[in-house]
Amino acid sequence: MLPSGAFNSRPEQDLAIVRTKTQWLLLLAALVFMFTLILYIPLAWQSWLILVGIYAIAALGLHVMTGLCGQFSMGQAAFMAVGAYTAATLCTRYGLSPWATLPLSGITAGLIGAVFAVPAVRIKGFYLVMSTIAAQFIIIWFLREQTWTGGSYGMAVPAITVGGRALSYVQYWWLTLGLVVLSIFFVKNIQRTTVGRTFVAVRDNDKAAEVMGINLFRTKLLAFFIGCFLAGIAGWLWAHFLVYISPNQFAFKTSLWLLGMIIIGGMGSTTGAVFGVVGIRLVDKLVDERVVPLVKSAVPGWTVQAAPALSLIVFAAVVIFFILVEPKGLYHRVQRIILYYRLYPFSYQR
Amino acid sequence: MSIDIVLDGLLTGGVYALAALGFVMVYKSSRILNLAYSQMIAISAYVLYWLLTSIGVPTWLGILLLFAFGAILGFLIDRLAIRPLLGQSFLILLMMTLMLGFLFQGIITLIWGGESFNLPFTPTGMLTIHDWKISPATAWGFGVCLGVFLLLTFAFRYTKVGLAMRVVAADHAVAQSLGIRVKRMFSLSWVVSGVLAAVVGILMGMVWMVTPELGDIVLGKGLPVLILGGLDSVPGALVGGLIIGLVEPLGGYWAPAIREIVPWVVMLLILLIRPYGLFGQKYIERI
Repeated sequence: MLPSGAFNSRPEQDLAIVRTKTQWLLLLAALVFMFTLILYIPLAWQSWLILVGIYAIAALGLHVMTGLCGQFSMGQAAFMAVGAYTAATLCTRYGLSPWATLPLSGITAGLIGAVFAVPAVRIKGFYLVMSTIAAQFIIIWFLREQTWTGGSYGMAVPAITVGGRALSYVQYWWLTLGLVVLSIFFVKNIQRTTVGRTFVAVRDNDKAAEVMGINLFRTKLLAFFIGCFLAGIAGWLWAHFLVYISPNQFAFKTSLWLLGMIIIGGMGSTTGAVFGVVGIRLVDKLVDERVVPLVKSAVPGWTVQAAPALSLIVFAAVVIFFILVEPKGLYHRVQRIILYYRLYPFSYQR
Repeated sequence: MSIDIVLDGLLTGGVYALAALGFVMVYKSSRILNLAYSQMIAISAYVLYWLLTSIGVPTWLGILLLFAFGAILGFLIDRLAIRPLLGQSFLILLMMTLMLGFLFQGIITLIWGGESFNLPFTPTGMLTIHDWKISPATAWGFGVCLGVFLLLTFAFRYTKVGLAMRVVAADHAVAQSLGIRVKRMFSLSWVVSGVLAAVVGILMGMVWMVTPELGDIVLGKGLPVLILGGLDSVPGALVGGLIIGLVEPLGGYWAPAIREIVPWVVMLLILLIRPYGLFGQKYIERI
């Protein structure tokens, strides 16, 4: 909602992602802050920050599928795995440079995602969720059974080198952040153009959309392709960051975490997806740093299992809290607060 | 191929069917797919283990207490977590049940850690009938499954409560206007599914090792059975369970590596060919 007295008079203004000069400045400042953020934080948080970036890309993909097009996927982690294994295999066996495998791993994941999306044309709701769960299990099983992927032991991945030296954490964060910014821009752009509007039409009422001349099959397939493409990119980053991948890293739970992230952030909002990722990862990190040692010292019998169990419990509790109390998500609340000040003397209007 | 594999598969299929029946119970009345159900099973097995070994109650009392626990658990889930969300989109409800599952799994991991066990009263040895060897635990599972199946079919078909539940499933508004207490029916179906979870928990504790991953394993078997039989069909769950139970070891016999993936592949095929399952009701959508 615009401040009192401001009106859009031209279509370009309506379409603009960034509206005013002040907002451009703020955006620029935020970008500079994000790019230099890694220089101010302790080493233990650096890898956390990079993983947040990687999850953010995967969550943006899920947002395109679920938030925009309404095609629920519980197999996002498996599509990340496809991207990661594509990158690893092409790098180690065929000697391709990581930069060449970046688009390739995205496209492979996208295509495989589109294959599993074929049932989506006939089915929706529960049944589609089932077919994506099946995709999750079948893909991970396939990766575990093959010899060229190293089975359940996984495989090593070469680090990305520039000028003969492997990227440091700081440089890797710049790479990750670059890709995150590109993905956000890409998804925001989709959202305001024809493709995104057809997605939203299919989500809101697929029959009405079809009657209006939208090709359902193509739209759903495209949504899956884009969503899984982003998952593949996230997988590529994941593989080269951890330099070691195994099927266990891409478990069913990770898919559910991603789904939980976009629900917490706010379904159907691009910024919300990023908010959700940061929120969940922050809570998880804090639990790991603060609560787990507390529990360990309080109950000596729980030392081994405290960390994984509490991480599960807190995640579940946070998502349940949001579903019950704040179903529109974190970003919606932030927007409401901003709106309050934007409309200030007339805040009651909202 | 020996007849043992087929027989064992069929009997295990009975347990799978029982696992799927709990999903069907809730789905039939309230159109909610309760993905926390598998963790309810796991937590039941753990609670029984705790009652029997740490508290030291006799087995029959432990089982009775467990039934009470299952009923209360089902009731509480309905009251605290599901009721406030009535009428919301299905993804929200699905996510809620999934997160409840996470919560239960977290609690299991926290309290019992990596402990794994079989329930203390598990029958050992092998039954030999006409030189076919079967495990007595699986046979028990199959017998209980048949019993529960008959009971549920009978209840749904011939009792007033069963009829009321079917009306609620068909249309909430119609049910309400006929004077059926829709919310009470929801509660009832959750209570029944909680008790079913307790029954399955006992059987799973005999047939398989109880580990913190038990819930995931049950979910992995239950969902394909559910889709194969149809989400809202009691006989479908039985037939689906038997088919999956049979197909799984046969696939494993053909190539051991594919054993665990066979149910999922069958499920994908069913989704492609007949999405509403073998016995599920096909809904005609009105625009």
